[in-house]
Amino acid sequence: MTQHSKKAAAFLKDAKYSQWHDATFWAVRSKRDTMAQGLPEWERLREKASAIKRHTLSHLDEYLEQFAAQAQKNGAVVHWAADADEFNAIVLDILQAAGVKKIVKSKSMLTEECGMNPYLEAKGIEVVETDLGERIIQLMGQRPSHIVMPAVHLSPDQVGELFEREGISDEIGNHDPTYLTYRARLSLRNEFLTAGAGMTGANFGIAATGDIVVCTNEGNADMSTSCPKLHIAALGLEKVIPDYDCLAVFQRMLCRAGTGQPTTSYTSHFRKARPGAQAMHIILVDNGRSQWIGNPDHWEILKCIRCGSCMNTCPVYRRSGGFSYSYFIPGPLGVNLGMLRDFEAHKGNLSACTLCMSCQSVCPVKIDLGEQIYKWRQMSGAIPPAKKALCKGMSMVYNHPLLYKTATRVLKPFHSLDLEKDE
Amino acid sequence: MSRKDEILGRIRAGIGTRYDMPSLDDIAPITYPDPLAAFIASSKVAGSEVVELENGDTVDSIIRKRFPSAGTIASNLPEVSIANLNPDTVESAAALDGTDVGVIRGELGVAENGCIWIPQAMKEKAVCFISENLVILLPREAIVNNMHEAYRRVDPGRYGYGTFISGPSKTADIAQTLVMGAQAARSVTVILI
Repeated sequence: MTQHSKKAAAFLKDAKYSQWHDATFWAVRSKRDTMAQGLPEWERLREKASAIKRHTLSHLDEYLEQFAAQAQKNGAVVHWAADADEFNAIVLDILQAAGVKKIVKSKSMLTEECGMNPYLEAKGIEVVETDLGERIIQLMGQRPSHIVMPAVHLSPDQVGELFEREGISDEIGNHDPTYLTYRARLSLRNEFLTAGAGMTGANFGIAATGDIVVCTNEGNADMSTSCPKLHIAALGLEKVIPDYDCLAVFQRMLCRAGTGQPTTSYTSHFRKARPGAQAMHIILVDNGRSQWIGNPDHWEILKCIRCGSCMNTCPVYRRSGGFSYSYFIPGPLGVNLGMLRDFEAHKGNLSACTLCMSCQSVCPVKIDLGEQIYKWRQMSGAIPPAKKALCKGMSMVYNHPLLYKTATRVLKPFHSLDLEKDE
Repeated sequence: MSRKDEILGRIRAGIGTRYDMPSLDDIAPITYPDPLAAFIASSKVAGSEVVELENGDTVDSIIRKRFPSAGTIASNLPEVSIANLNPDTVESAAALDGTDVGVIRGELGVAENGCIWIPQAMKEKAVCFISENLVILLPREAIVNNMHEAYRRVDPGRYGYGTFISGPSKTADIAQTLVMGAQAARSVTVILI
């Protein structure tokens, strides 16, 4: 068994929960379908989105220069970080120079990728996640189990008990999501007002204008940047797109594909620091991306806009959960990114794919996610000998109708035989 | 060599085929026979209340009627004479905490998704998020069909910040149950003027 399949087996032991998980994500996938079918131009948008990303990534040197120059013209300080360590050090420098002891931050998979929170905490800086789901898992000491719905693995009772332990809720035993959300609102309100800096990720960086664009439903990125006097924005190199015309294409698709909503509640454009605030800092983070661009089989994974639709639709993700994957991003996206990050460490995720290709059928930017997983498998030699022999046998049977008929008749009494057992 | 040059150098070395920018003129995005009606419908889906200013109404009277017990009303708009806190003159964003109703102006409404473009036109943009209830004044003729049309017309304004707002702050982070009022405004009322 692979690393993933062992963890998936453990996940499936709780049948009630695993059925809920499967049904929940299938419902999100269905909402996505309703959104897609509501726009006659949906498939054209996917074509354009893919082509814009191909163009942008294959001219990324030019667009990054344009973005940086424009952002500096707007008054932002632009930093370039080669890797996670450099990124963390830059953030710490900015915070220490400003005398900041506490930051509020909105959801960012990039800071997760770089391990920023533990780094800053070790240096004595308090980090408060302000997306409700991220805050919950931060207090639980866990990592996200989904890139858009990070705390989806927890029940209201688990969250309620956590809030009781943390002193966030005061009605013991009230685990109603509306009540818990309200209590978190009160607790976070205090954090927004007392933090020295706000940190955001970025959904998009706009080369033509230098804007950082952040999409949230909670408004927490806006709260994080409206109260403290210092805003630090972190973005992976691949987040830069040419202009507002391109942004319109992605803005329309991001949330429809991801959560099945026509839009997020907030699509916010940060161009300059607010009056009386310190200069905005923008950190462009490489951390492997400039190498991945040169990978002929896998560079297109950089087209990703992080909507999460590939994991929502994935039959393996739905039935195994985010924690079954060794990489911090799960699902088809995470399988591929993990392989680029560290082949040996994450090849145990390659079994988490049936090659049904549902991921690439829904991907709003048309990444060949399933085909890429197939290519990684060819390279990995990860197929156990027993399975290889079985596949060879099956292929012979399927290609000879007479043999097939005989085989099905002979094997019928053994149809429940567990063929995976010997792996 | 600077970090920037190193990174750009690696990118240049890695890029294979350079692909052309596609034309975006043939998307044929959705349009509506009655964009205003579509905007109202989309706003409701997003969780907003939409009120049309009728003869005899004033912005003040609508706000009073909708929020009879509101104590703190924050706005810098001249038509909101009942405002008792001004985001332009407060000392800091924190002074806006505890605002019951914040009133701001929207520049553009988008029929396909209920988004309203709010360029920062006040010193402390916190008023757009920190208020318990947000009221957005929007000219009824300022409706476009879709985001492509919207992005041809928006600019973050003189303060360099702008946001599309569609409905109240919301979350489904606890067991996928939708709750209105996560970290920002708990309700949004759009007054079509």
